[in-house]
Amino acid sequence: MVELEVEDPERLGELCEKLLANPLIEDYEIQPL
Amino acid sequence: VIWGVLQFPGSCDERDALHACEVVGGEARLIWHEDRDLGGVDGVVVPGGFSYGDYLRAGAIARFAPAMEAVAELAAAGGPVLGICNGFQVLCEAGLLPGALLRNQELRFICKQADLLDGEGNVLSIPLKHGEGRFYAPEEMLDRLEADGQVAYRYADGHNANGSSRNIAGVRNEVGNVVGLMPHPEHAVDPLTGSTDGRQVFEALEGFAA
Repeated sequence: MVELEVEDPERLGELCEKLLANPLIEDYEIQPL
Repeated sequence: VIWGVLQFPGSCDERDALHACEVVGGEARLIWHEDRDLGGVDGVVVPGGFSYGDYLRAGAIARFAPAMEAVAELAAAGGPVLGICNGFQVLCEAGLLPGALLRNQELRFICKQADLLDGEGNVLSIPLKHGEGRFYAPEEMLDRLEADGQVAYRYADGHNANGSSRNIAGVRNEVGNVVGLMPHPEHAVDPLTGSTDGRQVFEALEGFAA
């Protein structure tokens, strides 16, 4: 699990796709807290 | 050939890579990860180690280094790029090579000598040292890599210590100028360390230098 404080939550998907996850080997879901 | 060897925080094999480039007759210089300019080198080695502490995943942070932008440009222009171990992981994360590297099948760090087969049936004795070296790609991608001749190196029977798919130890891009492998050819260039077969890995890419 990676917890982040971000200014624009709408960019979380982009962050996951580009950095936080490798879509070839990892699944992810975004959970706002 | 003038090689540039990238150096990230956490790299640990860049000195041996420099030495290997020189042993095969080239020149070599270090390139700091923050340098956007490769300084006119003909080719690049992305060396082994633990770039940025392997945070998130091995290679996931390093792929965003300024120097990697220049490496991508060099690769697109046809220049030779060799990724070794962590460098292979970086090139996969950067999308310059297909597939990904997962934790070794037995979840243990491996350090041992292994026999590799290149595409021409030569057997190369080269050391392994990694914890996340299990090459993975979806079946259809593996089929395509094999059909297109993009499997650069395989572990010989009985030498696939990390559980890589189809014994794949290294792959190349479609053009062939970008190659990555988990074993360490830079540690196998001097008879003192038991094998000089690693020289062939460097020499195989020299033809792509401008």
